[in-house]
Amino acid sequence: MKTLLIGEYREGKMLDSTYELLGFAQQFGGESTLLLVGSETQLPAYAGTLYLADAASCGEYNPDLHKKLILETVQKEDPDYIVFVHSSYGWDLAPRVAATLKAAQVSEIIAIADGGFEVACCNAKMRRTVKPLTAKAVLTIQAGAFPVLQPGGAPAVVKISAEGNGRLAFVGYEPTEKKDIDLAKAEVIVSAGRGVGKKDNIPVIQALATALGGELGASRPVVDAEWVSHDHQVGTTGQTVSPKLYVACGISGAIQHLAGMKKSDFILAINKDKDAPIGEIADVLVVADVMQFVPALMAKVAR
Amino acid sequence: MKLLVCIKQVPDMESRFKPDASGIWYNEADLAFRMNEYDEYAVEQAVQLREKLGEGSELTVLSIGPDRVVEAIKKALAMGCDNAVHVQDTAASAKDPWQIASIIAGYAKDKSFDVIFTGMQSQDRGSAQVGVTVAELLGVACTTTIVGFAYDNGVITAKRELEGGIKGAVTLNTPALVTCQLGLNVPRYPTLPNIMKAKKKEITAIPAADLTTSESLAATTSFHPPAKKGGGIVLEGDVGELVDKVIAILKDKTAVLR
Amino acid sequence: MFLDLTEEQKLIQGTARDFAKAELEPVAAALDQSDDRAPLMANLKKLAELGFMGLNVKEQYGGTEAGVVAFSLAITEIARACASTAVTLSVNNMVCEVIQAVGNEEQKVKYIPKICSGEYAAGGFGLTEPGAGSDPSGMGTQAVKDGDYFVINGSKVFITSAPYAGVFVVWAVTDKDAPKGKGISCFLIEGGTPGLIIGKEEKKMGQHASATNELIFDNCRVPASAMMGKLNDGFRIAVAELTGGRIGIGSLALGVGLAAMDYATKYSTERVQFGQKISNFQALQWMIADGYTELEASRLLLMSAAWRKENGKSFAKEASMAKLFATESANRACYSAMQMLGGYGYTQDYPIERFTRDARITAIYEGTSEIQRLIISREILRNFS
Ligand SMILES: Cc1cc2nc3c(=O)[nH]c(=O)nc-3n(C[C@H](O)[C@H](O)[C@H](O)COP(=O)(O)OP(=O)(O)OC[C@H]3O[C@@H](n4cnc5c(N)ncnc54)[C@H](O)[C@@H]3O)c2cc1C
Ligand SMILES: Cc1cc2nc3c(=O)[nH]c(=O)nc-3n(C[C@H](O)[C@H](O)[C@H](O)COP(=O)(O)OP(=O)(O)OC[C@H]3O[C@@H](n4cnc5c(N)ncnc54)[C@H](O)[C@@H]3O)c2cc1C
Repeated sequence: MKTLLIGEYREGKMLDSTYELLGFAQQFGGESTLLLVGSETQLPAYAGTLYLADAASCGEYNPDLHKKLILETVQKEDPDYIVFVHSSYGWDLAPRVAATLKAAQVSEIIAIADGGFEVACCNAKMRRTVKPLTAKAVLTIQAGAFPVLQPGGAPAVVKISAEGNGRLAFVGYEPTEKKDIDLAKAEVIVSAGRGVGKKDNIPVIQALATALGGELGASRPVVDAEWVSHDHQVGTTGQTVSPKLYVACGISGAIQHLAGMKKSDFILAINKDKDAPIGEIADVLVVADVMQFVPALMAKVAR
Repeated sequence: MKLLVCIKQVPDMESRFKPDASGIWYNEADLAFRMNEYDEYAVEQAVQLREKLGEGSELTVLSIGPDRVVEAIKKALAMGCDNAVHVQDTAASAKDPWQIASIIAGYAKDKSFDVIFTGMQSQDRGSAQVGVTVAELLGVACTTTIVGFAYDNGVITAKRELEGGIKGAVTLNTPALVTCQLGLNVPRYPTLPNIMKAKKKEITAIPAADLTTSESLAATTSFHPPAKKGGGIVLEGDVGELVDKVIAILKDKTAVLR
Repeated sequence: MFLDLTEEQKLIQGTARDFAKAELEPVAAALDQSDDRAPLMANLKKLAELGFMGLNVKEQYGGTEAGVVAFSLAITEIARACASTAVTLSVNNMVCEVIQAVGNEEQKVKYIPKICSGEYAAGGFGLTEPGAGSDPSGMGTQAVKDGDYFVINGSKVFITSAPYAGVFVVWAVTDKDAPKGKGISCFLIEGGTPGLIIGKEEKKMGQHASATNELIFDNCRVPASAMMGKLNDGFRIAVAELTGGRIGIGSLALGVGLAAMDYATKYSTERVQFGQKISNFQALQWMIADGYTELEASRLLLMSAAWRKENGKSFAKEASMAKLFATESANRACYSAMQMLGGYGYTQDYPIERFTRDARITAIYEGTSEIQRLIISREILRNFS
C-alpha cells in the first residue's frame, strides 16, 4: 500500500500540519511519499522522498496548477491513497483531484477504522465509517486528529514544475482583525475560578491563555469579585462556549459553570481537590495547587 | 445572466441522532428539517447578486431530496430566487457526494449558468465535496470557503477564510462556482408576504433517475455515536512531572500545542 | 383528517422562531428589567417589515393573507422568547382585523397599511373601563353627536400600547337610553387627537415592556367619519373581535408555557442531587409528562379554533376553550418549571420567574378564565335547552 501525502505551505512557510500527514501515514502503514508546493528553504524534517514544486512560480493557492502537479506525481508514483489535511487548502484541492481520477474521497478522517475510515458527521455529534470503493482514493484528515510526527533528517528532493496561469488569480493575504474578546469563537479558553485566590493572580492565568493563543474565561465568583469583567464569564449567566481546549483553573465545576463549557472538545482541570466535581467531565484533572502548576506549565509552553 | 444556487435540507443540529434500520444513516423520524446553514449564506449571496443585476438575470434554486425538501426550496424562493428545480429523490441520503454532484452537473451542463453558489459543506454529512466536484464536472473555475464576494463585469473577487483568521483574496472569471462559509453575509428572513407569494413561483420537478448516471464511489458502512469518553485521567504528584505529562497529553490529544 | 401544517405555515413558523431566537431572546430579560423600550420599538419595526402585523389581513391593505393558523403559530414562537413583544403583535393584528371587518374602504386604506408596515408602532384596543371590565357593555364613556362631529368624554383603563399607538379603536355609548349593549358605537381615533390624553402607565407584575395605560377623553372631538360600522352597533363588533383575539392570547400563553417547560426539562437533566440527575426522580418526570401533555392539548385546541375561524366556521366556543385551557396550562407549566429549578428558579438569573410573571395575566386579559367558562357553558347549554 502506498500513500502520497500533500503537504501545506503558506506565506512562505511550510505548515506544521504537514507533520500530521506523516503521523497519519505512520499509523496507516505502508510506503509514503510527500509532495509539497513550497520552497527549498523550507524542507520538512523527514528522510523520505519529497516531490517539491516551487511556490514562487506555482503559487501558494493555485488549484489548477497544484492539481496538475499532483496528478503528474500520481502517474509516476501510482499511490493507493492521496492524503490531504482537511483545511482550506486540502478541502479545496482534494475533490478536484478525486473528480479527475474518478476516485472516492473520504473527508475529514478522525481515525482509521476496521474496513475504512472514521469521520465525524452531524456537527460532530455522530460518526460514520466510510469505505472507498475505488482502487485509488483521496483522503482528507481532520486537523489535530492524528499525532504530529517529525522524524528528522533531510528529504530526497525530486523537483517538479507546472506552467500556465490557472483560471483563478490569487491576489494576496489579509491579516486577522483584532476584535474585542469573543469567547464563543475562541479555540482555547483558560478560565480562572475562585481557587486562583486573588485578583493579583489573574495575570498569570491570562498569560497562559495568551501563550496558548486563547482567551481568558472566568467563573462567576471571579467576575462578581471584579477580578475580571463580565464579558469573560462562562456559564448559565455568562457565555456558553465550546473551544477545542478548555482549561479550568481552580474551578469546582458547579452545574451553572458546567452548563457553559461542557461541550468543549478537551477539558483540562487544575484543582487541589481530587474529588472536585469538575473531575467528572474533565479529560484530565491535575491535582495540584493552581498557582504552582500554571506558572510551571507556562514556563514550558512559552519555550 | 443565469445564476444557480444549490441547497440541501438537513435536520436541526440540536436534534438527537439515532441510526436508522440500515445502520448507515440517521433515523429521520422526529427530526425537524431546515435549510443547511451554509446554503443559507449561498442563497443570500445569490439573491444579492440577482438584485444587483436586476432585469434580465435569473436565479434558480436546486435541491435534491424527498418531498420534504420543497419547504427549503420555498424558503429560497421567498428569499428571492426566481424559480426552482426539485430533483425528486427519496434515496438522496444514500448517495455519496460524487453522485449528488453528478446529478447537479447533469442538470446544469447545458444551461450555461454564469455563477453557481453552494454551501461549503452540509451540516449533516460534512464532506465539503459537492460544490468543488460540480465545478470539476462542469469544467468551471471554483473557489471555496468564501467570506467575501463581489462581482463586476464577468469577474468575481472572493475572500477565502483560511486558518487562524487570515483571509486570502482571489479573483476568478465566470463561469464559476463558489462555496459559501459562515461570515459571508447575514441571511435575510424571508418576509411573510414573500412566503405567500413564493407559492406562485414555478418549481420544476425532475425524477432523480433522469439525472443519475453514476454509481457511488464510496460506501458508508456504519453510522454511530462517538465512543463514550471514558472517565478522565487524574494526575497527581510532583508539579514538574505533572507539567511534562500534561504537555505530552495536550500534544497528543489536541491541536493546540505543537 | 390532516393535522400537518402547510409549507407556508411551516416557513412562517420557522421565520418567527429564527427571529425570536436571534433578535428577541437576547433582549427579553433586559426589557423586563429596564424602562428603556428602544429595543422593543426596533423589534416591532422589524417584525412589521417582515409582515407579522397583519397576518390575517388582505394583501391590498398591506397584510400577509396568511390566515389564522399562521397567526397562532407566529404568536407562539414570538412568545417563547418575549411575551411583551407577542402581546403587542397580538393586539396589533386584532386592531387590523377589526378595521378590516367593519371599517369602510376609506378607513381601511388609511389605517391598516400604517399598522402593517410599522409606520404606526402599534394600534390600540380601547374597550375596558374602570367600571366595565368583564362586563364591557356597562361602559360609561359617551360620544355625543355635535353636527358633523362626535364629542367623547370618559376614560378607559388597561390599554395595551397606548403611549405608542398610532390609532385606537374605541368604544363609547352613543345612546344611553338603549338597552344594555344596544347603544354602543365604535370609533377610530388617532393618537395625538386633542382631548385624547394618555394617562399613567400601570406598574405591572409582568409583561413589562408592553405599556398598559389609562386613556382619558376630555371633550375629544372626532369627525363623524371616525365612526366604524353602524351607529349603536359597536358592541357586537367588540364581542366578535375579542373572540378572534382569544386565539392570539391562548397562543401567547402556549409559547410562554413551552419556554418554561423546555428550560426546566433541560435543567433537570443537568442538575445533580442525591448523586443523580434530578430528572431521574419520578416526581419530576410526572411534572414533565403533565406539563407537556397539557401544552400539547392546548396546541390542538388552538389549532382547531384557528382552523375553524380560517375556514369560516363558528369558532366562539372553541376559541374560548382554547384560551381557557392554554392560559391555565401555561400557568401550571410555569409553576412546575419553577418547582423543578428549586431555589434557582426563584432568582432573576434564570428566566422562569419572568415566564411565571408573564404568564399570569394571560388568564385575565381578553376575558378572564371565568368569562371563558361562562361563554363555553352558555354555548353548550344552548344546545340542551
Ligand atoms: C443563579 C445563579 C447563577 C449562576 N451562574 C453562574 C455562571 O454563569 N457561571 C459560573 O461560573 N457560576 C455561576 N454561578 C455560581 C456557581 O453556582 C458556583 O458558585 C461557581 O461556579 C463557583 O465558582 P468557582 O468554581 O470558581 O468557585 P468554588 O466553587 O469556590 O470553587 C473553587 C475551587 O477551587 C479549588 N481551589 C481552591 N484553591 C485552590 C488552589 N490553590 N489550587 C487549585 N485549586 C484550588 C477548590 O478545590 C474548588 O474546587 C451561579 C450561581 C447562581 C446561584
Ligand atoms: C396588562 C393588561 C393589558 C390589557 N389590555 C387591554 C387592552 O388593550 N384593551 C382593553 O380594552 N382592555 C385591556 N385589558 C383589560 C382586561 O381585558 C380586563 O382587565 C379584563 O377583561 C378583566 O376585567 P377587570 O380587570 O375589570 O376585572 P373584573 O371584571 O372586575 O373581574 C374581577 C373578577 O371577577 C370575575 N367575574 C366578573 N364577572 C364575572 C361573572 N359574570 N362570572 C364569574 N366571574 C366573574 C372575573 O373573572 C375576575 O375573577 C388589559 C388588562 C391588563 C392587566
